Amino acid sequence: MKDVHLDEWLIDHVRGDLDPADRARVDAHLVACDHCRASRDRFAALMTELADTAPAPPPIHWGAYRAELRERLERRTSASGWLWARLARPLPALAAAGLVAVLVMAGLPGGVRAPGAPDPLALDNTLLATQLDMIARLDVVQQLDLLEDFNVIGELDELPEPQKG
Amino acid sequence: MESSDEQLCRAIAAREPGAFDLLVERYQERAYRIAWSVLRDREDARDCSQEAFIRLHESAGSFAGQSKFSTWFYRILVNCCLDHQRRRRGWRRLVGWRDPRSDGPDEPDPVEQAPAPFTDPVDGMDKERRVTRVWALVEELSPQQRTAVTLSCREGLATKDIAAVLNVSEATVRVHLHRALSTLRRRLGDEG
Repeated sequence: MKDVHLDEWLIDHVRGDLDPADRARVDAHLVACDHCRASRDRFAALMTELADTAPAPPPIHWGAYRAELRERLERRTSASGWLWARLARPLPALAAAGLVAVLVMAGLPGGVRAPGAPDPLALDNTLLATQLDMIARLDVVQQLDLLEDFNVIGELDELPEPQKG
Repeated sequence: MESSDEQLCRAIAAREPGAFDLLVERYQERAYRIAWSVLRDREDARDCSQEAFIRLHESAGSFAGQSKFSTWFYRILVNCCLDHQRRRRGWRRLVGWRDPRSDGPDEPDPVEQAPAPFTDPVDGMDKERRVTRVWALVEELSPQQRTAVTLSCREGLATKDIAAVLNVSEATVRVHLHRALSTLRRRLGDEG
Protein backbone atom coordinates (compact mmCIF):
# COMPACT_ATOMS: atom_id res chain seq x y z
CA MET A 1 0.00 0.00 0.00
CA LYS A 2 2.97 2.26 0.66
CA ASP A 3 4.09 2.15 -2.97
CA VAL A 4 0.67 2.89 -4.49
CA HIS A 5 -0.27 6.49 -3.71
CA LEU A 6 -3.90 7.52 -3.47
CA ASP A 7 -3.43 10.95 -5.03
CA GLU A 8 -6.86 11.27 -6.61
CA TRP A 9 -8.65 10.35 -3.38
CA LEU A 10 -6.85 12.90 -1.21
CA ILE A 11 -8.94 15.87 -2.33
CA ASP A 12 -12.20 14.12 -1.52
CA HIS A 13 -10.63 13.08 1.80
CA VAL A 14 -9.91 16.75 2.59
CA ARG A 15 -13.48 17.69 1.61
CA GLY A 16 -14.97 14.89 3.73
CA ASP A 17 -16.63 13.61 0.57
CA LEU A 18 -15.79 9.89 0.81
CA ASP A 19 -18.07 7.08 1.83
CA PRO A 20 -17.05 5.33 5.07
CA ALA A 21 -15.29 2.40 3.38
CA ASP A 22 -13.15 4.64 1.12
CA ARG A 23 -12.44 6.99 3.98
CA ALA A 24 -11.20 4.12 6.15
CA ARG A 25 -9.01 2.90 3.28
CA VAL A 26 -7.45 6.36 2.78
CA ASP A 27 -7.05 6.86 6.55
CA ALA A 28 -5.17 3.57 6.80
CA HIS A 29 -2.96 4.53 3.86
CA LEU A 30 -2.16 7.96 5.30
CA VAL A 31 -0.92 6.42 8.54
CA ALA A 32 1.66 4.47 6.59
CA CYS A 33 2.53 6.87 3.73
CA ASP A 34 4.48 10.06 4.41
CA HIS A 35 4.22 11.18 0.79
CA CYS A 36 0.40 11.07 0.71
CA ARG A 37 0.10 12.63 4.18
CA ALA A 38 2.25 15.60 3.12
CA SER A 39 0.40 15.82 -0.19
CA ARG A 40 -2.96 15.80 1.57
CA ASP A 41 -1.87 18.66 3.84
CA ARG A 42 -0.72 20.74 0.88
CA PHE A 43 -3.99 20.08 -0.97
CA ALA A 44 -5.92 21.09 2.17
CA ALA A 45 -3.95 24.36 2.47
CA LEU A 46 -4.46 25.23 -1.19
CA MET A 47 -8.18 24.45 -1.10
CA THR A 48 -8.63 26.62 1.99
CA GLU A 49 -6.74 29.40 0.25
CA LEU A 50 -8.92 29.08 -2.87
CA ALA A 51 -12.12 29.12 -0.81
CA ASP A 52 -11.02 32.13 1.27
CA THR A 53 -9.57 34.29 -1.47
CA ALA A 54 -11.91 33.69 -4.39
CA PRO A 55 -12.27 37.08 -6.08
CA ALA A 56 -15.75 38.58 -6.17
CA PRO A 57 -17.17 39.30 -9.60
CA PRO A 58 -17.64 42.94 -10.60
CA PRO A 59 -20.80 44.30 -8.94
CA ILE A 60 -23.94 44.68 -11.01
CA HIS A 61 -27.32 46.31 -10.38
CA TRP A 62 -29.72 43.48 -9.66
CA GLY A 63 -32.85 45.46 -10.48
CA ALA A 64 -31.49 46.25 -13.94
CA TYR A 65 -30.37 42.63 -14.29
CA ARG A 66 -33.89 41.33 -13.60
CA ALA A 67 -35.50 43.94 -15.85
CA GLU A 68 -33.20 42.96 -18.69
CA LEU A 69 -33.90 39.28 -18.05
CA ARG A 70 -37.68 39.87 -18.15
CA GLU A 71 -37.31 41.78 -21.40
CA ARG A 72 -35.23 38.99 -22.95
CA LEU A 73 -37.73 36.39 -21.77
CA GLU A 74 -40.68 38.31 -23.21
CA ARG A 75 -38.83 38.82 -26.48
CA ARG A 76 -38.05 35.11 -26.65
CA THR A 77 -41.61 34.08 -25.77
CA SER A 78 -43.16 36.44 -28.31
CA ALA A 79 -40.61 35.38 -30.92
CA SER A 80 -41.49 31.72 -30.47
CA GLY A 81 -45.21 32.63 -30.54
CA TRP A 82 -44.69 34.55 -33.79
CA LEU A 83 -42.81 31.60 -35.25
CA TRP A 84 -45.65 29.23 -34.39
CA ALA A 85 -48.16 31.62 -35.90
CA ARG A 86 -46.11 31.82 -39.10
CA LEU A 87 -45.86 28.06 -39.26
CA ALA A 88 -49.52 27.48 -38.43
CA ARG A 89 -50.92 30.05 -40.90
CA PRO A 90 -50.62 27.96 -44.10
CA LEU A 91 -51.94 24.84 -42.38
CA PRO A 92 -55.71 25.33 -43.12
CA ALA A 93 -54.95 26.07 -46.79
CA LEU A 94 -52.70 23.02 -46.99
CA ALA A 95 -55.31 20.83 -45.31
CA ALA A 96 -58.01 22.06 -47.69
CA ALA A 97 -55.78 21.44 -50.71
CA GLY A 98 -55.00 17.94 -49.46
CA LEU A 99 -58.68 17.18 -48.94
CA VAL A 100 -59.52 18.37 -52.46
CA ALA A 101 -56.74 16.22 -53.89
CA VAL A 102 -58.05 13.15 -52.06
CA LEU A 103 -61.60 13.78 -53.25
CA VAL A 104 -60.47 14.31 -56.84
CA MET A 105 -58.44 11.11 -56.77
CA ALA A 106 -61.34 9.17 -55.30
CA GLY A 107 -63.72 10.63 -57.90
CA LEU A 108 -61.58 9.70 -60.89
CA PRO A 109 -62.73 6.70 -62.97
CA GLY A 110 -61.14 3.73 -61.30
CA GLY A 111 -60.36 5.86 -58.25
CA VAL A 112 -57.37 4.99 -56.15
CA ARG A 113 -57.24 1.25 -55.87
CA ALA A 114 -54.72 -1.48 -56.00
CA PRO A 115 -54.20 -3.27 -59.30
CA GLY A 116 -56.55 -6.26 -59.58
CA ALA A 117 -58.90 -5.01 -56.89
CA PRO A 118 -62.62 -4.99 -57.80
CA ASP A 119 -64.09 -1.73 -59.06
CA PRO A 120 -66.13 -0.39 -56.11
CA LEU A 121 -68.45 1.49 -58.46
CA ALA A 122 -69.36 -1.66 -60.44
CA LEU A 123 -69.91 -3.52 -57.19
CA ASP A 124 -72.24 -0.80 -55.97
CA ASN A 125 -74.18 -0.90 -59.24
CA THR A 126 -74.61 -4.65 -59.05
CA LEU A 127 -75.91 -4.42 -55.47
CA LEU A 128 -78.28 -1.64 -56.42
CA ALA A 129 -79.50 -3.51 -59.47
CA THR A 130 -80.14 -6.63 -57.40
CA GLN A 131 -82.14 -4.60 -54.93
CA LEU A 132 -84.22 -3.14 -57.76
CA ASP A 133 -84.78 -6.59 -59.20
CA MET A 134 -83.54 -5.36 -62.55
CA ILE A 135 -81.26 -8.29 -63.22
CA ALA A 136 -84.27 -10.60 -63.06
CA ARG A 137 -85.87 -8.61 -65.89
CA LEU A 138 -82.73 -8.21 -67.95
CA ASP A 139 -84.63 -8.74 -71.17
CA VAL A 140 -86.76 -5.68 -70.48
CA VAL A 141 -83.77 -3.60 -69.42
CA GLN A 142 -81.92 -4.52 -72.60
CA GLN A 143 -84.92 -3.33 -74.62
CA LEU A 144 -85.12 0.04 -72.88
CA ASP A 145 -83.52 1.86 -75.76
CA LEU A 146 -85.97 0.25 -78.15
CA LEU A 147 -88.91 1.10 -75.92
CA GLU A 148 -87.66 4.67 -75.72
CA ASP A 149 -87.48 4.79 -79.49
CA PHE A 150 -91.09 3.78 -79.62
CA ASN A 151 -91.76 6.72 -77.33
CA VAL A 152 -93.27 4.42 -74.75
CA ILE A 153 -91.12 5.56 -71.86
CA GLY A 154 -91.47 9.23 -72.72
CA GLU A 155 -95.27 8.90 -72.58
CA LEU A 156 -95.49 6.66 -69.57
CA ASP A 157 -97.32 9.39 -67.69
CA GLU A 158 -99.88 9.48 -70.43
CA LEU A 159 -100.64 5.79 -70.46
CA PRO A 160 -104.15 5.04 -69.43
CA GLU A 161 -104.50 3.98 -65.83
CA PRO A 162 -105.15 0.29 -65.37
CA GLN A 163 -108.81 -0.37 -65.23
CA LYS A 164 -110.14 -1.32 -61.83
CA GLY A 165 -112.28 -4.27 -61.23
CA MET B 1 -43.81 28.82 4.82
CA GLU B 2 -41.17 29.49 2.18
CA SER B 3 -41.42 27.37 -0.95
CA SER B 4 -38.52 25.07 -1.74
CA ASP B 5 -36.58 25.49 -4.98
CA GLU B 6 -38.18 22.32 -6.32
CA GLN B 7 -41.70 23.60 -5.54
CA LEU B 8 -40.92 26.90 -7.26
CA CYS B 9 -39.62 25.06 -10.30
CA ARG B 10 -42.87 23.08 -10.55
CA ALA B 11 -44.79 26.35 -10.16
CA ILE B 12 -42.80 27.84 -13.05
CA ALA B 13 -43.69 24.80 -15.16
CA ALA B 14 -47.37 25.43 -14.29
CA ARG B 15 -46.83 29.10 -15.32
CA GLU B 16 -47.84 30.35 -11.88
CA PRO B 17 -47.17 34.09 -11.74
CA GLY B 18 -44.35 35.24 -9.48
CA ALA B 19 -42.62 31.86 -9.18
CA PHE B 20 -39.99 32.65 -11.79
CA ASP B 21 -39.14 36.03 -10.27
CA LEU B 22 -38.78 34.44 -6.86
CA LEU B 23 -36.39 31.76 -8.09
CA VAL B 24 -34.37 34.32 -10.05
CA GLU B 25 -33.97 36.46 -6.94
CA ARG B 26 -32.88 33.40 -5.01
CA TYR B 27 -30.26 32.28 -7.56
CA GLN B 28 -29.20 35.41 -9.42
CA GLU B 29 -26.05 36.11 -7.40
CA ARG B 30 -24.87 32.49 -7.43
CA ALA B 31 -25.59 32.17 -11.15
CA TYR B 32 -23.71 35.36 -11.99
CA ARG B 33 -20.80 34.44 -9.69
CA ILE B 34 -20.39 30.95 -11.16
CA ALA B 35 -20.68 32.28 -14.71
CA TRP B 36 -18.09 34.90 -13.96
CA SER B 37 -15.77 32.32 -12.35
CA VAL B 38 -15.89 30.29 -15.57
CA LEU B 39 -15.88 33.13 -18.11
CA ARG B 40 -14.00 35.91 -16.26
CA ASP B 41 -15.93 38.56 -18.16
CA ARG B 42 -18.66 40.69 -16.64
CA GLU B 43 -20.84 41.04 -19.74
CA ASP B 44 -20.44 37.40 -20.76
CA ALA B 45 -21.30 36.31 -17.20
CA ARG B 46 -24.38 38.53 -17.19
CA ASP B 47 -25.46 37.26 -20.60
CA CYS B 48 -24.88 33.56 -19.85
CA SER B 49 -26.52 33.62 -16.42
CA GLN B 50 -29.60 35.31 -17.92
CA GLU B 51 -29.65 32.78 -20.73
CA ALA B 52 -29.57 30.01 -18.09
CA PHE B 53 -32.64 31.52 -16.40
CA ILE B 54 -34.45 31.72 -19.74
CA ARG B 55 -33.65 28.05 -20.43
CA LEU B 56 -34.85 27.24 -16.92
CA HIS B 57 -38.15 29.00 -17.72
CA GLU B 58 -38.50 27.08 -20.98
CA SER B 59 -37.61 23.65 -19.58
CA ALA B 60 -38.96 23.79 -16.01
CA GLY B 61 -41.45 21.09 -16.95
CA SER B 62 -38.65 18.66 -17.68
CA PHE B 63 -37.22 18.88 -14.15
CA ALA B 64 -37.97 15.40 -12.85
CA GLY B 65 -36.96 16.07 -9.27
CA GLN B 66 -34.51 13.18 -9.23
CA SER B 67 -31.65 15.54 -8.36
CA LYS B 68 -31.58 18.72 -6.34
CA PHE B 69 -32.88 21.75 -8.20
CA SER B 70 -29.56 23.54 -7.68
CA THR B 71 -27.63 20.71 -9.37
CA TRP B 72 -30.07 20.69 -12.29
CA PHE B 73 -29.88 24.47 -12.67
CA TYR B 74 -26.09 24.60 -12.34
CA ARG B 75 -25.90 22.10 -15.15
CA ILE B 76 -27.93 24.39 -17.40
CA LEU B 77 -25.77 27.32 -16.34
CA VAL B 78 -22.42 25.61 -16.80
CA ASN B 79 -23.51 24.29 -20.21
CA CYS B 80 -24.38 27.85 -21.25
CA CYS B 81 -20.97 29.07 -20.08
CA LEU B 82 -18.96 26.27 -21.69
CA ASP B 83 -20.93 26.59 -24.96
CA HIS B 84 -20.28 30.32 -24.92
CA GLN B 85 -16.60 29.76 -24.29
CA ARG B 86 -16.35 27.21 -27.10
CA ARG B 87 -18.00 29.66 -29.50
CA ARG B 88 -15.71 32.45 -28.38
CA ARG B 89 -12.67 30.22 -28.77
CA GLY B 90 -13.87 29.18 -32.23
CA TRP B 91 -14.15 32.80 -33.34
CA ARG B 92 -10.78 33.69 -31.89
CA ARG B 93 -9.17 30.71 -33.60
CA LEU B 94 -10.81 31.83 -36.82
CA VAL B 95 -9.25 35.27 -36.58
CA GLY B 96 -5.93 33.90 -35.36
CA TRP B 97 -6.11 35.05 -31.74
CA ARG B 98 -4.37 32.63 -29.38
CA ASP B 99 -5.95 32.12 -25.95
CA PRO B 100 -3.50 30.71 -23.41
CA ARG B 101 -6.44 29.15 -21.57
CA SER B 102 -7.32 27.08 -24.60
CA ASP B 103 -4.19 24.99 -24.15
CA GLY B 104 -4.82 21.45 -23.06
CA PRO B 105 -3.97 20.58 -19.48
CA ASP B 106 -1.17 18.30 -20.57
CA GLU B 107 0.61 20.82 -22.76
CA PRO B 108 3.79 22.00 -21.10
CA ASP B 109 4.05 25.69 -20.48
CA PRO B 110 7.07 27.79 -19.58
CA VAL B 111 5.94 28.39 -15.99
CA GLU B 112 5.47 24.68 -15.44
CA GLN B 113 8.79 23.85 -17.08
CA ALA B 114 10.79 26.23 -14.89
CA PRO B 115 12.46 24.61 -11.88
CA ALA B 116 10.86 25.24 -8.52
CA PRO B 117 12.58 28.02 -6.57
CA PHE B 118 14.91 26.99 -3.75
CA THR B 119 13.24 29.25 -1.24
CA ASP B 120 9.60 29.08 -0.21
CA PRO B 121 7.93 31.55 -2.56
CA VAL B 122 5.37 32.46 0.07
CA ASP B 123 8.12 34.06 2.16
CA GLY B 124 9.06 36.47 -0.60
CA MET B 125 5.57 37.33 -1.67
CA ASP B 126 3.02 39.34 0.19
CA LYS B 127 -0.44 37.92 0.56
CA GLU B 128 -2.06 40.09 -2.04
CA ARG B 129 0.44 39.23 -4.73
CA ARG B 130 0.13 35.59 -3.84
CA VAL B 131 -3.68 35.70 -4.18
CA THR B 132 -3.42 37.48 -7.52
CA ARG B 133 -0.97 34.86 -8.72
CA VAL B 134 -3.11 31.95 -7.52
CA TRP B 135 -6.18 33.20 -9.37
CA ALA B 136 -4.23 34.12 -12.45
CA LEU B 137 -3.09 30.51 -12.54
CA VAL B 138 -6.64 29.27 -11.96
CA GLU B 139 -7.62 31.27 -15.03
CA GLU B 140 -5.07 29.35 -17.08
CA LEU B 141 -6.66 26.00 -16.24
CA SER B 142 -8.85 24.31 -18.83
CA PRO B 143 -12.54 25.35 -18.64
CA GLN B 144 -13.59 21.97 -17.22
CA GLN B 145 -10.89 22.05 -14.54
CA ARG B 146 -11.64 25.65 -13.64
CA THR B 147 -15.33 24.86 -13.36
CA ALA B 148 -14.61 21.84 -11.16
CA VAL B 149 -12.38 23.95 -8.89
CA THR B 150 -15.00 26.72 -8.67
CA LEU B 151 -17.85 24.35 -7.90
CA SER B 152 -15.75 22.45 -5.38
CA CYS B 153 -13.76 25.08 -3.52
CA ARG B 154 -16.03 28.08 -3.88
CA GLU B 155 -19.55 26.68 -4.08
CA GLY B 156 -18.86 23.65 -1.90
CA LEU B 157 -20.55 21.12 -4.18
CA ALA B 158 -19.93 17.43 -3.48
CA THR B 159 -18.13 15.31 -6.07
CA LYS B 160 -21.33 13.58 -7.16
CA ASP B 161 -23.05 16.93 -7.70
CA ILE B 162 -20.12 18.29 -9.72
CA ALA B 163 -20.27 15.09 -11.76
CA ALA B 164 -23.97 15.69 -12.42
CA VAL B 165 -23.36 19.35 -13.37
CA LEU B 166 -20.52 18.52 -15.76
CA ASN B 167 -22.24 15.35 -16.98
CA VAL B 168 -19.17 13.21 -16.29
CA SER B 169 -18.41 10.39 -13.87
CA GLU B 170 -17.30 11.00 -10.30
CA ALA B 171 -13.93 9.48 -11.20
CA THR B 172 -13.52 12.10 -13.94
CA VAL B 173 -14.29 14.87 -11.46
CA ARG B 174 -11.59 13.48 -9.13
CA VAL B 175 -9.14 13.49 -12.03
CA HIS B 176 -10.09 17.08 -13.00
CA LEU B 177 -9.68 18.31 -9.43
CA HIS B 178 -6.47 16.41 -8.84
CA ARG B 179 -4.89 17.65 -12.08
CA ALA B 180 -6.06 21.21 -11.49
CA LEU B 181 -4.81 21.43 -7.91
CA SER B 182 -1.57 19.58 -8.72
CA THR B 183 -0.92 22.03 -11.57
CA LEU B 184 -1.56 24.97 -9.24
CA ARG B 185 0.74 23.53 -6.61
CA ARG B 186 3.47 22.93 -9.15
CA ARG B 187 3.19 26.40 -10.65
CA LEU B 188 3.14 27.99 -7.23
CA GLY B 189 6.16 26.00 -6.16
CA ASP B 190 4.20 24.29 -3.41
CA GLU B 191 5.42 20.83 -4.23
CA GLY B 192 7.38 20.65 -1.00
